[in-house]
Amino acid sequence: MKAATNASRLVSQVLTGEVWPALADRHGYRIGPDGQPFLLPGMGGVTLGVHCGDAATGYASDHLEPGASIRHADPAANMAVQFLSCVGNEVTVTSGPAAGATGHVIGQHAYVLVDFTEAETAELTTGDAVSIAAVGQGLRLTEHPSIVVKNCSPGLIAAMPGGSTQDGRLEVHVAARIPAEAMGAGVGMISEYANTDLMGAYAGLGEDLSLGLESLRVGDIVAMADQDHRFGRGYRPGYLTIGVISTGQCMLFGHGPGPSSLLSGPAEAFRILDDPAANLASWYHRPGRPGGSAEGGGRP
Amino acid sequence: MSAQLDAVAVNLLGSVEHPEFGDSPYRVDAEGKPYVPVGDGGIVLGLALGDSVFALDGDHAAPGACLTHRDPAARHALVLYSCIGNEAVVRSGAASGAKGAVIGKRGEAGRVITGFRQADLAMMRPGDQVSVRARGQGFRPGWLPAEVSMMSLDPDLLAALPIAAADDGTVGVGVRAVLPSRLAGNGLGRPAAGWDLDLQVRHGDDTELRLGDLVAIEDVDGRYNMGYRSGWVSVGVVVHGGSPLPGHGPGMTPILTGPRSALVTTPDVGGHAGLTAALLKLQ
Repeated sequence: MKAATNASRLVSQVLTGEVWPALADRHGYRIGPDGQPFLLPGMGGVTLGVHCGDAATGYASDHLEPGASIRHADPAANMAVQFLSCVGNEVTVTSGPAAGATGHVIGQHAYVLVDFTEAETAELTTGDAVSIAAVGQGLRLTEHPSIVVKNCSPGLIAAMPGGSTQDGRLEVHVAARIPAEAMGAGVGMISEYANTDLMGAYAGLGEDLSLGLESLRVGDIVAMADQDHRFGRGYRPGYLTIGVISTGQCMLFGHGPGPSSLLSGPAEAFRILDDPAANLASWYHRPGRPGGSAEGGGRP
Repeated sequence: MSAQLDAVAVNLLGSVEHPEFGDSPYRVDAEGKPYVPVGDGGIVLGLALGDSVFALDGDHAAPGACLTHRDPAARHALVLYSCIGNEAVVRSGAASGAKGAVIGKRGEAGRVITGFRQADLAMMRPGDQVSVRARGQGFRPGWLPAEVSMMSLDPDLLAALPIAAADDGTVGVGVRAVLPSRLAGNGLGRPAAGWDLDLQVRHGDDTELRLGDLVAIEDVDGRYNMGYRSGWVSVGVVVHGGSPLPGHGPGMTPILTGPRSALVTTPDVGGHAGLTAALLKLQ
C-alpha cells in the first residue's frame, strides 16, 4: 500500500526564477579523465533534445542539464529556490513565447532543473521567467521514521510504485543500483543543494574508468549503496539512499551523471525492487499529456 | 620521458585567516545533530604533527595557521603554488621573523596550512602577513617512473620522506594505511594540485591516522581532478583532523599518483613516520 505521509500538513509556496545563462570563463577549457582538454556545452541555459527517459550519457557534453536551468537573480532568494524546490514540483513559464507551458522539477544542480516537452523546450531561452509551486520539504513517511525524505514532492511519492510492505519496510522500485565507489563530486555537500556526481559512467572512454553505469537514463530512480544522505552526503556502511538522475554526461573527471537525493535511511528499512520503468518519464511529461500535473494526481 | 626541469621558486604573500561563520553558528552532523564547528581555518593551538586526527573535537582542525589572500585569484595562486615543506616567514605582527613551513593545503576557496613552533603560533594573530617561498609545482625527480605524477611537494623535502625508487623501475612509498576508494570524500572531482581529499574514516576504525602521515587511497587518479580509476593509487599527506560533517573527515593533500604497477605503497600501521615537526625544523 502507498506509504502514509504528512502531505496534508505541508506548506506550499510560490517561488519565481528565471532561465539562467550557461557560464564559462575566458580560458574555456577544462580537463577530462585522461588529461584531455575539452570545451563542451550542457550546463545552464536551455539544453535541447534530452528529457526524462533518454540516455544520460553518450553526448558531447559536460554536466548535461536536461531542459531549463533555473536560478533566482537575488542570491538569498536563489538559495530559497534551490532548497525549497522539490522533484515533481510543477513549474510554469511566465514570460516569452513559451509562457503558459508547464514542466516539472527533476532535481537540483546548483540550478533547479526543469524538464518540459521538446516543443516547449525549443521555445525557451535564457531570461524567461518561471513560477515554481514549491512543496515537499518537511515531507515525512509517517510509518517509516528512520527514512528521511529529501527534495521530494508528495506527488512523486504518490506516483512512484511500491510503498509500505507488511513487514514494515518501504518498497522502492529502482532502475539501477549504484556502488559506493561511484560517488564523486558532491560528497560532503548538503543534501538539499546540487547533486552527487557518479563516476564510472564515461561512455566511450577507458575500461578502467567504468563502474558499469553508462546505461543510466535521465530520470532514473537509483539506489546508492552505503550512502547516508539524511543530513548531507556521506559514506556509511549499512545505509541506503534513493535518488533520481537529474544530470547527465560529464567529461570533467570525478564528475558524472548525478542523482538528486530523495530518500535516505538504514538499508534494512527498504525493500528494493529492480524495475527498468522506475523513471520520472513513467509519471511525468508523458507524450500527449496536456500540461497536466502529477502533483497529487498520481499516475496518468 | 621529458627532460628534468628546474623548479622555480616564487615568494607569495598570504595572511593568517580569521575563522568565519554565516548567520547561524550551527552545522549538522551525520546524525542530524547541530554543532558549532571549531578549528575550521584560522589559527589552531595545541595541535601538532604526529597527533591523532581525532585528538580534538574540532572540525577540519589543522596543526598551525591557515593562510589566505583577500583577492580570490591571488588566493588560488597562493594555494596552487605552495608546496609541502616550503618555508614560511611571518612578516608582520608580534611573531614577525618567525619561520615555519607549509604542511598542506585545502580546497574550495583555498587555504595553505602552515606549521610554526607553538611559542610562535601563540604570538600570531589573524591578519598577520606570512611570506611563502613557493617551490615544487612542475618538479619531478629523474627517477620517477613516467606514469607517476608528483605535485605539491618541496624538492628539498622529498629525500626525507619514505619515498624511494626501486630497482625494478617502480617507486615505493611507505604509508600509514592503504584505504579503499569508497572512503574518498569531499575533494573528489576537484583539482588535486589545489585541494585536499577528505577521508571518510571514523574515530575507532582499525587504523587511526595521525597528522603528517602519508596515506594511500586506491583506485583514485589524482593527476588532474581526483576521480575513480581502477588500478591506480594516490598518496597524500594527512593535513587536518576529522569532521562531524557527512562526507568529510581527515584530509590528505595529494603528492603522488599513478598506476599501482608503478607506484607501490607499503602500509606500516605501527612504525610509519611521514611528515614530522623535526623534518620541518619546527621543534
